[in-house]
Amino acid sequence: MSVSDATTALTEELAARDDMIVCEGVNKWFGDFQALDGIAAVIKEREVVVVLGPSGSGKSTWIRCINRLEAHQEGRIVVDGVELTNDLRNIEKIRSEVGMVFQQFNLFPHLTVLDNIMLAPIWVRKKPKDEAEELARSLLERVGIPEQAEKYPGQLSGGQQQRVAIARALAMEPRIMLFDEPTSALDPEMIKEVLDVMKELALSGMTMMVVTHEMGFAREVADRVIFMEDGQIVETGTPEHFFTNPQEERTKLFLSQIL
Amino acid sequence: MSNTDQATLAASQSERPPFYRDATIVKWLAQVAALALVVFGLVFFTTQALDNLDRQGIEIRYDFLSIGLGSDLREGIDTDPDTAGRALWVGAVNTIRIAVGGIVAATILGVLVGVGRLSSNWIVSRMCSVYIETLRNIPLLVQIIFIWALVATLPNVELDQGPINGLLHLSSKGVSVPRLHIDDGFYQWLIFLLAGWLAGSYVKRRRERLHDATGRDTYPVLSFLAVLAVFGAVGWVAHPIFGWVGAIFDFIGDGFSSLTPIIVQVVLSLAALAAAAWWIRRFLARLRTPAGLMKLTDDDKFRIIFAGVGALAVIAFVLVGWPGLSSWIINSGTDLLGVIADKFGDGRTGRPIDVKAPDVVQVGNFPNPGPAGLNLTQGGTAVFFGVVLYTASFIAEIVRGGILAVPKGQTEAAQAVGLRRVTMLRRVILPQAFRVILPPLGNQYLNLTKNTSLAIAVGYSDFVQVGQIVYNQTGKSLEVISLWMLFYLACSLTISVIVNFFNVRMRIVER
Amino acid sequence: MTSTMGDPAATPAATADLWAQEREPAQKPEEPSLSAGEWLGRNLFSSPVNSLLTVVFTLLVLLAGRGLLNFTFSEERVWRAVKTNMRFLFTHAYPQEQYARVWFCVGAVAVLSGLSIGLLAKTGRGISMKKLSMNLMAAGGAIAVGILLREPSATVDSEGLVVHREPGTALDDSFAGWIDANSLALLGLLLAANVALAVWFRYQGVYLRGGPEPRTAHGVLVLASAAVLIVQQYGEGEIVRESFGSAMADRAWWWLAAALLGAAGGALWFGLGDARRRNTFVPAMYVFFGAGALMVLSAWVYPWGHYAFLEGEFISEPGSTVAMTTKLPWTVMLVLLVASFEAGRALRATPAGRRLRVPLNLLWVLAPFVLYWAVLRDPDLDWDHVLSTDIPMALFFAAFGGLAVWFLAHPRIGEVGRVIAVALVGVAVLNWVAAFFGWYPMLQKARISFLLLAVVALLAHNFAGDRTHRMRLVVAWVAIMAVFHWLVTLVNSPSTVDTPTDALFGGFATTLTVATFTLLLAFPMGVLLALARTSKLPIFRVLATAYIEVFRGVPLITLLFFFVLIFNLFLPGGMSLTDIAGATIGFALFSAAYLAENIRGGLQAVRRGQYEASDAVGFSTVQRTLFIVLPQALRVSIPPLVGQVIATFKETSLLAVAGMFDFLRIADKVISAQSEFLGVKREGLLFVSFIYWIFAYNMSKHSQRIEKRLGVGER
Repeated sequence: MSVSDATTALTEELAARDDMIVCEGVNKWFGDFQALDGIAAVIKEREVVVVLGPSGSGKSTWIRCINRLEAHQEGRIVVDGVELTNDLRNIEKIRSEVGMVFQQFNLFPHLTVLDNIMLAPIWVRKKPKDEAEELARSLLERVGIPEQAEKYPGQLSGGQQQRVAIARALAMEPRIMLFDEPTSALDPEMIKEVLDVMKELALSGMTMMVVTHEMGFAREVADRVIFMEDGQIVETGTPEHFFTNPQEERTKLFLSQIL
Repeated sequence: MSNTDQATLAASQSERPPFYRDATIVKWLAQVAALALVVFGLVFFTTQALDNLDRQGIEIRYDFLSIGLGSDLREGIDTDPDTAGRALWVGAVNTIRIAVGGIVAATILGVLVGVGRLSSNWIVSRMCSVYIETLRNIPLLVQIIFIWALVATLPNVELDQGPINGLLHLSSKGVSVPRLHIDDGFYQWLIFLLAGWLAGSYVKRRRERLHDATGRDTYPVLSFLAVLAVFGAVGWVAHPIFGWVGAIFDFIGDGFSSLTPIIVQVVLSLAALAAAAWWIRRFLARLRTPAGLMKLTDDDKFRIIFAGVGALAVIAFVLVGWPGLSSWIINSGTDLLGVIADKFGDGRTGRPIDVKAPDVVQVGNFPNPGPAGLNLTQGGTAVFFGVVLYTASFIAEIVRGGILAVPKGQTEAAQAVGLRRVTMLRRVILPQAFRVILPPLGNQYLNLTKNTSLAIAVGYSDFVQVGQIVYNQTGKSLEVISLWMLFYLACSLTISVIVNFFNVRMRIVER
Repeated sequence: MTSTMGDPAATPAATADLWAQEREPAQKPEEPSLSAGEWLGRNLFSSPVNSLLTVVFTLLVLLAGRGLLNFTFSEERVWRAVKTNMRFLFTHAYPQEQYARVWFCVGAVAVLSGLSIGLLAKTGRGISMKKLSMNLMAAGGAIAVGILLREPSATVDSEGLVVHREPGTALDDSFAGWIDANSLALLGLLLAANVALAVWFRYQGVYLRGGPEPRTAHGVLVLASAAVLIVQQYGEGEIVRESFGSAMADRAWWWLAAALLGAAGGALWFGLGDARRRNTFVPAMYVFFGAGALMVLSAWVYPWGHYAFLEGEFISEPGSTVAMTTKLPWTVMLVLLVASFEAGRALRATPAGRRLRVPLNLLWVLAPFVLYWAVLRDPDLDWDHVLSTDIPMALFFAAFGGLAVWFLAHPRIGEVGRVIAVALVGVAVLNWVAAFFGWYPMLQKARISFLLLAVVALLAHNFAGDRTHRMRLVVAWVAIMAVFHWLVTLVNSPSTVDTPTDALFGGFATTLTVATFTLLLAFPMGVLLALARTSKLPIFRVLATAYIEVFRGVPLITLLFFFVLIFNLFLPGGMSLTDIAGATIGFALFSAAYLAENIRGGLQAVRRGQYEASDAVGFSTVQRTLFIVLPQALRVSIPPLVGQVIATFKETSLLAVAGMFDFLRIADKVISAQSEFLGVKREGLLFVSFIYWIFAYNMSKHSQRIEKRLGVGER
C-alpha cells in the first residue's frame, strides 16, 4: 500500500485505539447484481469516516449491513467485538449500540417529537419513563430544538425533523452512529443546521460513519475518507490526501465530476 | 488493512449460535409450530366429526348424487331431474345464468348511475346519489324479499298474452321475455364462428398495420366484425359439413376410458414432482449469480425442503389418501367427452339458433308461462333485480371514483393537443379510469355471484337452494356443504382469473 | 393511499400531516349566493340536453314520489301491523316485566355515546344557518308537493274495506275523468313540446346568451305535466274517491306541518342577513338533540296510540290506558344523552378528560359483554360453586400468572425468560392435547387461562421495564383474569330472564348484538390475519392467504348453514353451540377475512422507512408491530373498516334465512303469520328497510367525513 506520510502517521495513531467496526471480505448480491464486492475495512474508536462514491456504488448497502438492516451473504462484519451472524442476541446487541440516521428521517408520524425520542429508551433500554423524558429533553436541547417537544413530526421543517432523528438515535446512547445521506432530502438552507449538529457530535468523540455528498463536511470533519465504486473500496485516505492527491484514476474522475 | 487487530477478530469468531438464538431457525420453528397447530386443529375437528358421524351411523359418501330426488325444481334447464346430482347441476346452471345476466345488467346500470352522479344537471346527479345512498344501505336480503312481495301483487297469469304485445309478460308468476333457443347444429356453427374469430383477428391486425404505415382510416374493428359476420352467415347454412367432429371426440373418449387408474396416479405424481422440481429450479436460478451459485442460507434450504415435502404430500394423497380419485377422473372425463361428442353429433341440419316469444300454457287448473320464452319465476325475478339493483349502486360508486381519479391535468393536456371530446374520452380518460375501476369491479362481480345464493330465501332454484333440498331429503349435509364451497370457490377463481387477465392487459396498455 | 406510495420523497410532509392533532376538514371557499333564477339556469337549463334531462328526470321523480306516497298512504296498507308489533320487532319475546333491563342497557349506551362524542369527537364548525334554513324550507316544500301529489283517499265502508264503484255505473263525464283517459297522450304532447322548445332555443342562441326563457318555458311545461299527474288521480274509475276539496281538508295537519317548517326556515333566512346566515353555526349535535327533543315532545303531546300484546295475543289499543308507553323512558334516554354529552364537552379540555379517554374506550369493549350477560340475562349464580371453585381458581391464576409476569418482565431476564415462556406454551398446548385425548379432567376455563398466561409470558419480555412498569403489567393481568373468570361464570350460569326461543331475544336487538359480538371477535382475527398475510415468513403468508381467499370466495349463507346446522358435529362430545352462537362464529370468520384485507391495505400504506427506523432503534418485531406499524396502518384503514362494519350490520339479516328470529324474519315471516295480519308483509319490510337504512346511512356518512379528514383517497 503506497500511502503518504500523513496517512501512515494517522494509521499508527489509530492502531492504538480499539476496533469498532471490522469488515472482512463482505459480499452481497441482489439477485445477480453484486452490491458489495469484497469489502474490507476497519473503523477505529472515535474515528469519523466519510464514505463517498457515485450513486449505486454500494455505500448505502454497506452502511445498512453494519446494523443488519440488510444481511450480508459472505464475509464477516464485527461491530465492537460482536460478530453479526444469525444470532438473535448479537443482532439485538448491535442494534442497541449502533444508531442510525436516514435520508428520509423516518420519524414516527403518529407520535410527538418527545415520544419519538423516548419510545426506544423506555421499551428497549428499559429506562423508567421520567429518566427517559429527562434524557429526551436534554437531547433536544443538544440538537437545538427544545421548544418543539410536543409537536408532531409533520409540523416540523425537514432540518428540524432530521435533528429529531439524530436525537432519537442518540437516545439509545450508541457507541457508533451511522448516517445514510442525512442531508440529501433537505432544502439547501436547512443542510447547515444538520451538519452543525453532526460536527458537534464528531467533536464530542463519537465514532461516526457518514455516507454523504457534502464535500465540505468531509474535508472539515472526517478523519478518513473511503471512496467506493461498483461495490468495491477503491481508495482510502485522509481528506487532505484524498482531495488533493488521489491515487486512483476512478477517484480522480469522480472528483472532477463533483467538484 | 494489514494492521487489523487479529486478536479481536479471532475472539469474536464464534461458531453457530445455539438453535434458540439462531434467527433463521427460530423463524422456521415458529412457522412449523403454527403449521402444526393448524393441522392439529383440522385433525381434531375432523376426527371429532368422524367420531360423531360414526356414532350416528352416518358415513361420508357422495353416492347420494346418483340416487333419485323426490321433488321437482321450480325452474331451470330440467325441472324434473332424475338424480340429485342432475338437480345440483340444474341449480349450478341457474346460479351461473343469473350471475352472468346480473353482472351484465348491473354493470350497465352501475355505469349509467355512476356517470349520472357526476352530471352537471342537478336533478340527475341528485337522483343518482339518492339511488346509490338508498340501495346500498339496505340489506340485500331485505330488498330481495321486498321485490318478491311486490311481484306477488302483480296480476295473475292470463291466457291472453301480456301487456306489451306478448313480448314481455309480467305477472305474479314472474317475468317472461323472448328467448334464444340453442337448436340443431349450434355447436357446428360455433366452429364457424371460431374460424371467423381467428380470420377476423388476422384481418384486424393487418388493417392496424396498414393504419400505422399509411395513417389512413382502416376501421380495424369494423373489418373484424364484418369477417365474423360473413363466417357466421356462411356457417348458418353450411354448418352440417362439420358433422364429423363428434366422431373425433368419441375417439378421444374411447382412448380416455381405456386408461387404468395406475396410469393416472403415476401421471399425477409425476406432475407433482415436476412442479416441485420446476419451482426449485426457478428458485435456484434466482440465486445464481455471474460468479456462480450463491451460498444457500438456512432459509433457502428450508424453502427447498418444504417444496419437496409438498410434492411428496400430494403424491401420498393421490396414491394412498384417496385411491378412488384417479378412477373418478377417468369416469368423469369419459362422461364429459361423451357429452361433447353428442353435442357435435352428425346429422343436424336445422337452424343453429331460434328466437321464440314467451307463451302461456294451461296444463292443470291454472295457466302458466310456457317453455318458449325465457321465464324467471317470482323468486328468480326477485333475486335478479335484487342483486342487479344492489350491486349497481356499488358499481356506480366505483365508476365515479375511477373517473374522479383521473387527474384534471390529463383532460387539460388532451384539450391542449386538440383532441376531440370523444377521442379524449376514449383514448385518454377511460383507459386511465378503467385501470382504477377494474380491481374493485372484479370484487363486486364476485360479491354479486355469491349474493345470488340469497335465492334460498325466495325459493329460486339456485345451487344453494337445490343443495338444501338435497340434504333435507338425504341428510347428507356435510357433503352438500363441501359441494357448495367447491362450486363457489371455482366461481370466484374463474372471475378473478378473468379480471386478472384484463388487469394485465391494462398494464400492457400502460407501457 | 396507493397513489401516494409511489413517490416517497413527496409524501412525508403530506402523510405526516395526518397526525397533527386538531385538523379541520378543508373548507371550500364559499361561492357567492345565486338568485333562484340564476341557480336554475346554471344547474338545470344550461343546454338543450340539460333541459330535456331536467324535464324527463323531474317527471320520473314526480312519478316515483307519487307511487311511493300512494303506496305508503293507501287505505290498503296495514301500518297497524307494524305499530302493534313494534316491541316484537325490536326485542321479540323479551319478557315485558323485565323491560327495565333493556332500558338500562339503552341508557348505558346513551351515556357512553354522549361522553365519547363530547370528549373525543372532532365536531368541526357545525351546520350553518344558511344550510339549516334551506333544509327547513326544502322539507316544508317537499311536504307540500307530497300533499298535492298524493291520490285522494278512497271511501271506506263501516268494516274498513274500500268501496268499489259498481261495474255498471258510468263515470262522470268530468274534467278529471277526461284527463285520466287521455293522460298518456297529454304527457307525450307536453314532452314533445319540451323537445321542440329546446331545439328552438338552441337555434335562437338563447342558451349561449344564458337568457331566462328556457327555464320559464320548460318550467311551465313541467308544472303542466305535474298538474296532469295530480288531476288524473281524481278521475280514476275503479274506486270511489273523495273530491279535491275534501282531500285537501283531510290533509290539514300536513299543511300545517309544511307551513310551520317553511315559516321556520323562512324566518331564519330572512331574519339573518346574508353574511350572518353563512357565518352563524349550530353544532351538529344540537340539531340532532333538537330533532330528538321534538320527537319525544310529540310523544307527550300527540296520541300516537299505545300498543301492546296481552295474554299471548297481539292487540292494538289506541288510547293511553295501557301502561306500556315508552315516552317516559325515551325522555330519560334523551336527557342522559344530552347530559353526558355536555359533561364530556366540559371535561374535554381538562387533564381529567384526557385521562378518561383510555378507560372510556375499554368500557366500550367491555360494555357488550357486561350488558348482554349480566344485565339482560341476569345470571342465577350457584354460590356454592362460585365460592368453592370459581373464585379460588381465578385467585390462583391471578396470583400465579401475576408472579410469572412480574418475573418474566424483568429487564435483564434475557434468554432464561424466553425458555421459560416457551416451556409454559408447551405446557399449555399439552394441556389441550390432554383434553383431546381425555388424559385428565380439567375445567375448560382453566385450560384457556393457562393458554392466555402462556401467550402473555411469551410476549412479556417485550414489555419489560422498571418496577412501576412491571407492577402495571401485573395489575393488567389480574384485571384480565378477573374479567375473564367473571364472564365465564356468568355465561355458565342459567338466566332468570326466561325467553321462549334459544336466543335471549330477537328482532333488532339480535341484529345489533350479533353484529357487535361478530366485530369484537373478527377484529383481532382480522389484524392477525393481515399481519400474517403481509409477513415475510412464507408459511404464515400461505396459511393466511388460503384462509382469506377461501372465506372470501364462499357465500356467507353456506358458512352460516355450516355453523348453525352441522358445526356441533365437529365439537367434542357433549359440547354444543346455540344457533345464535354458531351464527356469530360464522359471521366472525367471514368478516375476519374481509377485515384482514382492509387492514392489509393499511399495512401496505406504512412506508418501509418506518420498519427500518424501528429496527435501527432496536425494537423487537412485536414492539415494532404494536407501537409503530399498527397504529399507522389502522388509522389509514378506518374508512374501509367502517365499510366492513356496515356490511356486517347488513349481513346479519341472513340470520333470518338460517331460521333465527332476527329483525327481518319478524317482519317477513312472524307478523304475516299473525291471525290479525295474515299475509301483511310489505309494511313490515318497508319499516325494516327504513331502520336498517338509518343506521347504515349514518355510519357511511360518518366514515366519509373521517375519510375527508384523513385525506385518504385524495390526490
